[in-house]
Amino acid sequence: MFSTNSFKKISLAFLSLLGVFSFTSCSDDDDNVTSDDNSVTIPAEGKPYVMSMAIQGSEGNFTYYTVPFESLMEGTLSAEGQGFEQPGYYDFTQIDQTIYSIGGLDDVNVVGISKNDNQLVQVGDVSYDVSLDDVVDADENTVVSVSMGSDSDVLTFRTFNKNTLNSTSEKTVQTSEFINVENAGPSYSGMVVTDNHLFLSYYISNPETFATDYTDQAEIAVFSYPELEFQEVITDGRVGPIGGFSVKSGLIKDENDNVYAVSHSNPANGFSQSTKPSGILKINSGETDFDPNYFFDIEEATGGNNTAHLKYLGNGRAFAEINVASRPQQEMWSDGPLQSAIVDLEAQTVNYIDGIPEHPGLGRRLNALQDGNFIYTSVSEDDGIYIYETNLQTGTAERGAEVQASFPAGIFKL
Amino acid sequence: MIYKFNFCIILFFCVGNLFSQNTSKASLFGNISDNSGQALEGVNVILVDENKGVVTNAKGFYHLKNISEGKHNIKISYLGFKSFQKEINFEVGAEVQLNIELEEGSFELETVNLNGKSAVRKINEQAYTVNSISTRALQNSTTDAKQILNRVPGVRILQDGGLGSDLDFSLNGFSGDQVKFFLNGIPMDNFGSSFNLASIPVNSIERIDVYKGVVPVWLGTDALGGAVNIITNQKNDFLDVSYSFGSFNTHRTSVNGAYTNDSGFTVRGNINHNYSDNNYEVLVDRKDVNGNVVERNVWSERFHDRYRSISANIETGWVNTEFADQLLFGIIASGDDTQIQTGATMESVYGSVVNESKSVIPTLKFKKKDFLFEGFDVSLNSALNIVENKIIDTLTGKRFDWFGNTLETGSETDGELGEASLLTLDNTEFTSQINASYLFDDKHSLVFNHGFQYFHQERFDPLNPDRIANQFPNSLYKNVLGLAYKYNFNQKWNATVFGKAYLLNLETSKEFDFGEQTRRTDVFEASKQNFGYGLATSYFILPNLQLKASYEHTYRLPTATEVFGNGLFVTANAELEPEQSDNFNFGATYDFSLGNTKQHKFNLGSNFIYREAKDLIFQVVTLSSPQTNYSNLAEIRTLGVENNLNYTWKNFFELSTNMTYQNSTDRAKFTYNDFSGYQENFNFGERLPNRPYLFGNANARFNFRNIGLDDSKLQVSYRYNFVEEFFLSWSRFGNQNTKAVIPQQSSHDFELTYNFQNNKYNVGIECRNFTDEILYDKFRLQKPGRAFYVKFRYAIN
Repeated sequence: MFSTNSFKKISLAFLSLLGVFSFTSCSDDDDNVTSDDNSVTIPAEGKPYVMSMAIQGSEGNFTYYTVPFESLMEGTLSAEGQGFEQPGYYDFTQIDQTIYSIGGLDDVNVVGISKNDNQLVQVGDVSYDVSLDDVVDADENTVVSVSMGSDSDVLTFRTFNKNTLNSTSEKTVQTSEFINVENAGPSYSGMVVTDNHLFLSYYISNPETFATDYTDQAEIAVFSYPELEFQEVITDGRVGPIGGFSVKSGLIKDENDNVYAVSHSNPANGFSQSTKPSGILKINSGETDFDPNYFFDIEEATGGNNTAHLKYLGNGRAFAEINVASRPQQEMWSDGPLQSAIVDLEAQTVNYIDGIPEHPGLGRRLNALQDGNFIYTSVSEDDGIYIYETNLQTGTAERGAEVQASFPAGIFKL
Repeated sequence: MIYKFNFCIILFFCVGNLFSQNTSKASLFGNISDNSGQALEGVNVILVDENKGVVTNAKGFYHLKNISEGKHNIKISYLGFKSFQKEINFEVGAEVQLNIELEEGSFELETVNLNGKSAVRKINEQAYTVNSISTRALQNSTTDAKQILNRVPGVRILQDGGLGSDLDFSLNGFSGDQVKFFLNGIPMDNFGSSFNLASIPVNSIERIDVYKGVVPVWLGTDALGGAVNIITNQKNDFLDVSYSFGSFNTHRTSVNGAYTNDSGFTVRGNINHNYSDNNYEVLVDRKDVNGNVVERNVWSERFHDRYRSISANIETGWVNTEFADQLLFGIIASGDDTQIQTGATMESVYGSVVNESKSVIPTLKFKKKDFLFEGFDVSLNSALNIVENKIIDTLTGKRFDWFGNTLETGSETDGELGEASLLTLDNTEFTSQINASYLFDDKHSLVFNHGFQYFHQERFDPLNPDRIANQFPNSLYKNVLGLAYKYNFNQKWNATVFGKAYLLNLETSKEFDFGEQTRRTDVFEASKQNFGYGLATSYFILPNLQLKASYEHTYRLPTATEVFGNGLFVTANAELEPEQSDNFNFGATYDFSLGNTKQHKFNLGSNFIYREAKDLIFQVVTLSSPQTNYSNLAEIRTLGVENNLNYTWKNFFELSTNMTYQNSTDRAKFTYNDFSGYQENFNFGERLPNRPYLFGNANARFNFRNIGLDDSKLQVSYRYNFVEEFFLSWSRFGNQNTKAVIPQQSSHDFELTYNFQNNKYNVGIECRNFTDEILYDKFRLQKPGRAFYVKFRYAIN
C-alpha cells in the first residue's frame, strides 16, 4: 500500500508534467502556402525501376507512394521514408517516358512523373471534379483521356500535351448519339488511338445495380482523331461486350496499329449475365470494322477459361492473366483466380508461365512492366506480395523482391 | 479540469448571530446566490466534519439544523461555481446566518462528500473526469457552443468552413458516433443539422459538461469515447436578449427567458436566429476552361456559402411543486438551409448544392426528489425527434469555378455531386431516459438508469424514386441499462462502481423483384447484447490536492446502416460487433496561493488518458468490386496528457492555459482488402494522420470595475489558440519533402466587453483572428481570416 506521503509525491510529480506541456513557442510557419512552384523532385540515381505502391491504414484510407528502386528482384521494396506521396485514390499508367498518375482525394488530378538528371520529377497543374477513366497515348505530342459513366448522359474527352501536361482541349459527346437503352448507360472498358481513329469500348450497365442486361454483342464507338467527332458504333454478335468493370484492358493495339478487342462477360468482372462466348476480335490496321475472319476462341485455347487482362508485348504476343475459373464457377466481382500466361494472338495459343502461382484477382488495371526480354508482375501470395520476373523466351518466372504495400498500383522503368 | 475560472469566489459574505435560543443544538441558514443576486437552487451546503448536508431550494435558501457545539468546517459548492469553505464556531443553540454570493467560474466537478439523504442529488458524477464549462463569463461574447467546446482540453472541433458548416467533434481521439451529445440530458444525436453546436449561442447555455472516456450511468448511452451534455439556462425568472452582427454579413439573435409564478407554473425557453453569408476570402488556384491552373494562390471570395437557421425551444409546466420538482412539456422547432461551397477539399467548388433540415421535437421532463419515500429520486427525459434532411443537387450541366464562373458540361443528368438528386431523409427518433436513485445512508447510494432509443429512417428522392437505396427503410431499437453503486469510505475518498447493459435490435425491410409478380418485401432483424462496466474514484490527499481515477469498458453499438448496408452495394454484415474500448483516466488537481495576502492564486491540473479501442467499424476496402460492407477492422490506442494552469491576481487579472497532447496510434495488426486479404498492417504503431495531436489554448483577462459608470465592468480579453503541424497522411512512408502537411496554426482573438447597471446593459466587441492567419481544418479547408463582431445584450434576472 502507498503511504499518504508517497501518494503525495506521485501526484505532485504528475502535476509537474505541466511544466513540460503547458507552454510552447509560437512560431510563424506558413509552409508552402504561397509557393508557386508545383513541381516536386526526389533523388533516383541508380534506380531505374519505379513502383507505385498503395498503402492502407486499418481505417481503410489509402495513400499512394511512387518510389524509385535499383532492382525489383532483391530484398524488400518499401516506401518507408521515400517516394512521392499522393493521398486519395490513384491510377497509374506509363506512356513513353512518363508515368501518368490520375486521381486525388476529392478532385481528380493529372500528374506526370518522369526522370530528369537522376531525379524523379513530379509535375501537374491540372485537375477536374469528374474522374478520368483512362489516359492513353494518342500521337507524338498528345495523350487523350476519357470520362464517362453509366449514370451520365455525356462522355468527355480531354487532350493533354505530353511535355507540359497541360490540357489542350475538351470535347463532350452525348452518349445518346451511340447508345439508347433504358435505365442503363455505357461504362468505360478500353480505349486505343490509331493513326486517325479513336476506338472506345464499353459495356452497358445499370448505374445503380450494375446489372448488365445487354450482353448480346460487342460494341465499340469509333471517333475521328484528332477531331474526336463521333463516327459510328461497330458491333459484332460473335461475342458479348468488350472488356469489363474496372480493369481497363478491353482494347489493345499492336505495333502495326491492329486493334484487338477482348470479350469475357465474366461474373468475376462485373457481368450479371452472359449470353455469348468469350473471345478476342480484331480490327485491322486502317479499318473501322471487325475482321470477320479473325476470332481467337480463347475458351477453346484454355479449356473453357478466358481473360480480362491483356498487355501487348510485341510480335503478336501478349501477356495475359487467365481467369482459371470458368464463367459459371466464378465468384461475382472477384476478378480471379488468375494464372499468368503468354498468348499468341496470331497462332491463337495460350502458354501458362511456369513459376508463377495461381493468384487472386487484381480488380484494377494490370500492373506489368516489360523490360526487354523480361516482364515484371506482382502476385499476392499467402505470405506477402512478390515481384515475379518472367523470361519471355523461356516462359518461366522467378520470384523476386517482396513488396511492402497493400497492393502495387504500377511497376515502371524510367 | 478548470477551464474558465475565477478564483475570487466570495464577493461578500456575512456571518451573524441573529438569535440565541435555548436549544442545545445550533443551526445554520441563509441564502446562496450568484454574483448578480440571482438565487441558486441545488447548492450543496455541507458540514464537512459531520457528514451533514442540505441543498438550497428554488429561492436559494438553506437551513442546516442539529449542529453540535464547536468549530465546524462549512463547505458550499455548486456546479459551475467555485466552492466556498469556512470554519465557523457554533455556540450552543446558536442560529447562524451565512449568506453567500458564489462567484462565477467553471470547474471540474469537485468531489463533495455528502451526508443526509436530501443532499446527494446532482453530484453523482463526481469522480468522473469531466470538464464543466460555465458560460457565465462569456455571456457578452459572440461565441457559441462550438467555440466554447473547442477550448476544452482534449477536444478538437474541425469545421468545413464558416458559421453553420459541417463540423467534426473529436474528444481524446474519438469522433462521430463515438461521442454522444445531450441537451439537458436528452440525446441530441438526431436533432437534425439545424440544432447543432454552432447554432446554439452562448446566451442559451448555462454550462457544458464534457465527460471524458467514462460516462456516468445516468446519461444512459452507448458512447465509446465520452459524452457532452449542454445545459441550457435553468433559472426560473429572467430575460436575456442579445443581437450581434459582424464580418461576412453575420447576424445572430438570441432571446432567452423564463417566467415562473408563485404556484410554480412556468414558461421558459429560447429563440435563436443565425445568418451568415460566410463570404470570406480563401486562397485558391485560378484555372482555365480546360482545367489548367493558370495562377496559384489567388484570393477569392466564397460565393455559395450562406447559412441561416432559426430554432425555438419552448417549455411550459410546473417547477418546485408538491407533485414534481420539475414537470415540463416542451417543443424544439428548428430549421436551416446551408449552401454548400466545397467538397472534401477546396478543389471541388459547388455553386448550387444546398442542404436543408427541419426538426420538430416535442419533449417531456419530469423530476422529483424524495419520490414516494425519502432518499428516492426519479427523473424522466423523453423526446420525439422528427427530422427531415434534404440534399438538393438539381442544377444539371454546370460546373462552377472559384470565381463564380460556370462551365457547361453538356449533360442533362449530372448534378454537381453526381447524378442529380433531391434526396430527402426522414428520420424519426424517440428517446427516453429514466433515472432513479436511492440513498441508503451516509455511505451507500445506488443509481439506476434506463435509456431507450428508437430510430427510423426513410429516404425519398423524387428524381430517383426507384433507386433501391431509397426503398430500404431501417429501424433501430436501443436499450441501455445502467446501475451504479457509490460508496463513501470517508470524507476524502469515495468510489463508484457501475455496470451497463447494451441491448440493440435492428430491423430493415428490403424489396425484391420490383415491378414483377413476385414483388415482395422481406424483413431482416438483428440483435446484440453487450455488457460494460467501470469504476470511478476520487481521493483528497490534501484539502487542496485531489486525485481522480476512472475506468470504463464501454461499447458503441452499430447503426442500422452499418449492420444492414444500404440495400445496394453496401451489403449486410450480420456478424458486425459493436465497437469497444477500455478507457482510463488518471488526474490530479492542486490549488495554492502565494503572496502576503494570498493574492496570487494558482490552480494546476493534469490528466492522463489512455484509450484502447477495438473492433472499430469501417467500410471494407474492395478493389475488384463495388460491393463492400462494414466490418470491425481497426484498433486504435490513444495515450494523452492534458494540463492546465490557471492564475488570478486579486480580482483584476486572470490567466488560464491548457495544453493537450494525445497520440492516437493504429494498433490493428492486420489490414484487409480483397486483393491481398488479411495482411500485415504497414502502419502498425503509427500515429493516425490528419488529426491534431498537440494543441492548446490560453486566455488572459483584465477586469476593470466602475469605469465611466457606476456598477459597470469592463473586461479586456485575449485568447490564443495553437495547433501543432500534422501530416495529412501516414508519417512512415514517402519522402518527407513530398508529404502533405497541415502547417502549425496559431490564432489570436481579442475581446472587449462593457456592462453597466449590474449586467443589465452589455456591449461586446470582438476581433477574431486579428493577425489574419491562414487557418485550416480537415483536408486543408480554409477558415475565415480576421473578423469583427459587435454584440448588444440586455439581461434582467
